[in-house]
Amino acid sequence: MTMRHFRTLLAHELRTALLSGNTWASAALFLALMGGIHFFALLECSRAPQPWTPVEATFRLFWLPLLCVLPLLTMRSFAEERRSGTLSALLTTPASTAAIVWAKFLSAWLTWAAFWCAFLLFPWLVDARLGTVGDQRLSDPATLFGGLCFVLVSGLLHVALGILCSCLTRSAALAALLTFISLLGLTAVGGAMESLPIESWSWLGWLREPAAHLRTFGHLQDFAGGILDSRPLVLYVTGMMLSLGLAVLAVEGQE
Amino acid sequence: MSDVAPQPEAAVAAERLTKRYGSLTAIEDLTFSVAPGEVVGFLGPNGAGKSTTMRILSGTMAGTSGRAAIWGVSVALNPAEAKRHMAYMPENNPLPEDLRVEEYLRLRARLKDVDAGQVDARVNQVMEDCDLVRRASGRLIGQLSKGFRQRVGIADALLAQPKVVILDEPTIGLDPHQILGIRDLIRSLRGQMAVLISSHILHEVEQVCDKVVIINRGRLVAQGRTDDLRRELLPHAGFTVVTKASQAELTALCTAAEPAATVEAGVATDLGWSRYRVILPAQSPARETLATTLLGAGLPLREIAEERYGLEDIFLAATRRTPAEGRRS
Repeated sequence: MTMRHFRTLLAHELRTALLSGNTWASAALFLALMGGIHFFALLECSRAPQPWTPVEATFRLFWLPLLCVLPLLTMRSFAEERRSGTLSALLTTPASTAAIVWAKFLSAWLTWAAFWCAFLLFPWLVDARLGTVGDQRLSDPATLFGGLCFVLVSGLLHVALGILCSCLTRSAALAALLTFISLLGLTAVGGAMESLPIESWSWLGWLREPAAHLRTFGHLQDFAGGILDSRPLVLYVTGMMLSLGLAVLAVEGQE
Repeated sequence: MSDVAPQPEAAVAAERLTKRYGSLTAIEDLTFSVAPGEVVGFLGPNGAGKSTTMRILSGTMAGTSGRAAIWGVSVALNPAEAKRHMAYMPENNPLPEDLRVEEYLRLRARLKDVDAGQVDARVNQVMEDCDLVRRASGRLIGQLSKGFRQRVGIADALLAQPKVVILDEPTIGLDPHQILGIRDLIRSLRGQMAVLISSHILHEVEQVCDKVVIINRGRLVAQGRTDDLRRELLPHAGFTVVTKASQAELTALCTAAEPAATVEAGVATDLGWSRYRVILPAQSPARETLATTLLGAGLPLREIAEERYGLEDIFLAATRRTPAEGRRS
């Protein structure tokens, strides 16, 4: 993969994302969703003191935009180009398939990161205007930073899965559905692992280690609590590499 | 840009190229070549395997077996290097709808390794060559007519001054004026780059191409210069004769001049005139003297004309052949 082609492709993908109505519609949906969640969390805190901050509560529901918005963001990346034939035209240039896949991935991930950074304006504004309600702080910079780190690091795998799903079909709608199902599976498995009483079931002892790796919500808590564990990092980065590797194979195989 | 490679014997080489989709064989044992600077027409009926072959040569599809090489570089083993020497315009010329022509060509120039300092100059040059400057350069591709879209595709193919250009149906859907423009453009490439062009418009191919390669059902059935193929595939000369003589009289005169001559039954036209078809061997000296022979015999003659066999006749004759005959030739 030559960096020259990668840079050219990334700049093109970012420009396309910036000018795409799909990106702006996804951004509007994302901010409406997160703004709504944050608003109701603030409302709860204003009624009675809560053991959590509104920002924590909002980040706990990270799976909602993940399932509703991320598939919209990645669905067109390859599916649309395959349907229109422009992917074939792109593959006639000396740019490698890996450069194309990585450029599309990084563009989608940066857009996803931009969505989350834009969301952080809500708690920042609330904090700047109100700061506290009674004794309760409405925002905590450590939680904000940790939560953001979690969604960005886990986003590596989530966006890569979306890109892989988009490589598998010519239909953007089907790509979105595939992404939704795989992300639902990933977060549901993580959630289920945390709720299972594995510790008390000796016959399930072998599951302890994989479960510790897959507990998505636990990762969020760790990040928000300032704990930097290398295991989730390895999980998300290797998952991303695997997904993108499969995406390269899928594109080369189909073309 | 890549290092300058020594000029190979063949700019495009397909050697025993085969592509199978499960039990379906799209192309089989296809062998042909295009010399540097040569313009070659790639012909075949629908479903013959032209687009499949072109896609394999362009590196966008892998062959099942055989070898495809562009400028001496194997497409399968070194696709990036092969693509540096080649530009390919697919059949339906897919283009991004939401880019402006100039933006698209700049992007393609960068992806095709045109030197950064040369990008503007090359984009302007190809837009000038393809008559895109005044009416299309700033427009969104999605708003362009079919003719302009084809021009954008050809401009893209010429951007990096490749050694080989592969054009799959470049004039499909164009009006006669646009076809003339594209034909002149392709003609101007002769000697500068090897061009492999597929088209169903045989007249156009005959006018533009130095050589033709004809395939049928995935197999090669003929290749060579049009004149050579005409001699090989159509080993006879046909004459249209309009006379008042009977078929027997005409046959007697023709066989006197050339024993192998045959006369096909006539069609009555008007006032006792009939139209006959006289067939002579292509190499017969009687071809030169038939008119004077008939006039000398005092035959009432209104018209005599030698039929000109075009590429269409060659194509029809070639696609009736078996692949084995094609290989033997």
